[in-house]
Amino acid sequence: MKKSTSIRFGVGVVSLALVLTACGGSKSDGASAGTKGGTLTFLTEAEQFAHLDPQRNYTGEDLAFASGYLNRTLTQYTLSADNNEASKLVADLATDTGTTPDGGKTWEFTIKDGVKWEDGQAVTCEDVKYGVSRTFATDIITDGPTYAITMLDIAKDADGNSIYKGPYVEDATGQAAYDAAVVCEGSKITFKLAAPVADFNYTVTLSAFAPVRKDADTGEKYDDKVLSNGPYKIESYVKKDKLVLVRNENWDPATDSFRTALPDRIEYNFAVPSAVITERLMADAGNDVYAISPDSVDPAKLASIFSDAKYEKRRWNELDPYVRFFFINTKKVPNEKHRQAILAAVNREELRKIAGGDYAGEYADGAIKPNIGIDYAPTGLWDSLLGEAVPATGNVELAKKLIADSGEEFPNPLVIDYPKTEVNDKAVASLVAALGEAGITATPNGLEPGGYYPIVMDPAKQGGMTSAGWAPDWLNASTVIPELFHPNGGFALTQYDDAAWMARVDAAKAMTDRAAQAKEWQALNTEAARLGLILPTRFGLEQRIAGSKVTGAYIWGPYGSWPYATLGVNAQ
Amino acid sequence: MFKYIIRRTALMIVMLFVLSIVTFVLFNAVPTDPAALTCGKSCSPAIIEANRVRLGLDQPLYIQYLEWIKGIFVGRTYGSGSQTFNCDTPCLGYSFRNGEEVTDMIVRAVPVTFYLAIGAFTLWMLVGITSGIYAAKKRGQWQDRTIMGITLVGYSLPVFFVGLLLLIFVVVRWNLLPYPDYYSPTKDPLAFFQTMLLPWVALAILYAAYYTRLTRTQMLETLGEDYIRTARAKGLPEKIVVRKHAFRAGLTPIVTSAGLDLAGLLGGAVITEYIFSLPGMGRLAIGAVVEYDLPTITAATMVAAVFVIIANLVVDLLYMAIDPRVRL
Repeated sequence: MKKSTSIRFGVGVVSLALVLTACGGSKSDGASAGTKGGTLTFLTEAEQFAHLDPQRNYTGEDLAFASGYLNRTLTQYTLSADNNEASKLVADLATDTGTTPDGGKTWEFTIKDGVKWEDGQAVTCEDVKYGVSRTFATDIITDGPTYAITMLDIAKDADGNSIYKGPYVEDATGQAAYDAAVVCEGSKITFKLAAPVADFNYTVTLSAFAPVRKDADTGEKYDDKVLSNGPYKIESYVKKDKLVLVRNENWDPATDSFRTALPDRIEYNFAVPSAVITERLMADAGNDVYAISPDSVDPAKLASIFSDAKYEKRRWNELDPYVRFFFINTKKVPNEKHRQAILAAVNREELRKIAGGDYAGEYADGAIKPNIGIDYAPTGLWDSLLGEAVPATGNVELAKKLIADSGEEFPNPLVIDYPKTEVNDKAVASLVAALGEAGITATPNGLEPGGYYPIVMDPAKQGGMTSAGWAPDWLNASTVIPELFHPNGGFALTQYDDAAWMARVDAAKAMTDRAAQAKEWQALNTEAARLGLILPTRFGLEQRIAGSKVTGAYIWGPYGSWPYATLGVNAQ
Repeated sequence: MFKYIIRRTALMIVMLFVLSIVTFVLFNAVPTDPAALTCGKSCSPAIIEANRVRLGLDQPLYIQYLEWIKGIFVGRTYGSGSQTFNCDTPCLGYSFRNGEEVTDMIVRAVPVTFYLAIGAFTLWMLVGITSGIYAAKKRGQWQDRTIMGITLVGYSLPVFFVGLLLLIFVVVRWNLLPYPDYYSPTKDPLAFFQTMLLPWVALAILYAAYYTRLTRTQMLETLGEDYIRTARAKGLPEKIVVRKHAFRAGLTPIVTSAGLDLAGLLGGAVITEYIFSLPGMGRLAIGAVVEYDLPTITAATMVAAVFVIIANLVVDLLYMAIDPRVRL
């Protein structure tokens, strides 16, 4: 999904108690059942939601928020604090979690009866079909995931773009192609895909596959006033100030086993300084006992919160969904041993210190993170994968040996791309110094953060190493390994195009046996680490705190977010 | 005077016109490509180009400027096909980052900043002038020294420090006031007052310190003049001497400073608005800068400039009221 420069960051669930202990945090039990009624208050430093338009929403926390309150999707994840349990699908807008008669090439979902929009009209198959079609209007519906474009069986033009340009462009040929790929028969919607996708029913958890009613679609401006089919509707939304949700009287709980919809009213306050949010939640006074924040704790207060037992029941220190790493461009550093030498030389301990120390994250050993569930297994990268152990402070001698063993000169200079910030400047300076000790001449290339990705995603402008972060779009490493390490992936900045490797990734993606697929993702993750396709630095951690009378709070694995659908408040 | 006002107004329009060109060119000539910022991860060159056309960024800069000016006077149309939408007069542009017309954003933000600035201004002028006069009258005595000591501290404390201190202690720790949650004074006067009280105080502390010192200095200067001695020798009561002769004569620099300070604040009190979560012009401008939201940056700059120019005009008019020798 989202690269690590997204507006919001989520928090992932750590299923392993050992990891939690190592993080220095304590697992909070804030999952007590709430009562119906009251006002739940959110406090955030953000000035607005990145997007509430379902087809444009692509940030973990916002996806969880919108799916909990406003946008129902065909399927959803289970609401559970247990990560493995949470990774299981449940039916939401559809009657079941989808069926495929042909091994993933065609997927069918039936829309439930009785699901209504906030104005009382029924949610139909055509609404889902129309919603999905909006993704194709890439000039207006920006920022959202584009899986509908890449997965549906719709022809591409000479430039590789879909011939269907979305519902705002009148084009009979494109429309016919879309109508053939997405078919409504009564309440049954059928998606015909260009290639088998074994976990397409996970893909449709994204709100990019949520319904939008054609007569309510205001295109660019739909972001400001989405028509709800969830338990709440928007009463007012003033950016930089406040979003207020009130109950949607046309939501029928009988059609919805996913959302408990406990509070009567939800107030989402924007533009509250981070330090003030933390102070207020720590003080836990007045109405702030019913407040919660999707933001991280102010770093200055971390020690106070995590060393004081009085916060034990309402603090969290868990993995976020992101892995932080540097791509190693195989076109610039083609020799495998040279790439391994980079990995061996780096002082990861120093990088973590610069990022914030223990609270910044755990040492990463690959592109897949433990909180994804069954697709993760330790790669052993720093134990033996490079030939000998590499401590967190680096192993310069091993790096020199690997370069010598390669039989080639290292292709100096090695340009390191990164979004220019004070912290990143220090991190890259550390990297340059460590690589220098191994005889690698690295050159920092700090780029303006706002325009960073358009530059580095141009192969002509990309350097030898590229700073990045990645979180899975859904709980399957099919949204990690192919996206990062296959040339057809959306973020394949490692530029690795070995034919055998690509075939293996393609085969893993098409696997319908989930357990076997998980084993293959684990193996591919290990292989990617051994090949030095990335330099993994951190499995990010995030720290949060909630008011004492907020109920049902825990970190929900799928989006590394609060479980919005079940949050409530105790007697107000 | 009427002629003077007409002349100044005409000059003001010319200044705004020149300023609009400079502002527009300055912000639109930055190396950042606004079209590239309109889409995220899936930002292919084709999408960037399509958005460049949709935003009108494919046109030469002067055409973009003329379109912008046209929008202010007659409105303009954005988008194409079924997704065309109008931006009504006065259209200051469309923020694609916020998905909103800039005029709407400005109209929403200006009253917040206006109330903040006016409230703080009233407070600091009352406190600053009163204590300045009092300190001057008690020159060299303990009262003077105490006031000067306090103003030195007040002047040294940055707004972000005072603001956070007030917020954390008065609101979070002591619960003497609810957390600032902006309401219009016409909608909920009590909530408005409770929200604005701390921002007013935070801003006023700094400015009051400055105005106390300024007033004291001016008063000391005029109180030492011969005509003051003459007034006292004539047997005028001290109250009249101070108010009608000394203070009025020393008022000109205070009015100059006050006008410009108020105008500057109307353009946005960035730090105060940030600390107290007030959705005013300061927040709007700083958010636009962070997000490279060029239409909003341009409009916010223009609005701030209008306030400064108007304030200058008002100050000039006030000179005439204060000092009858001034003829405009």
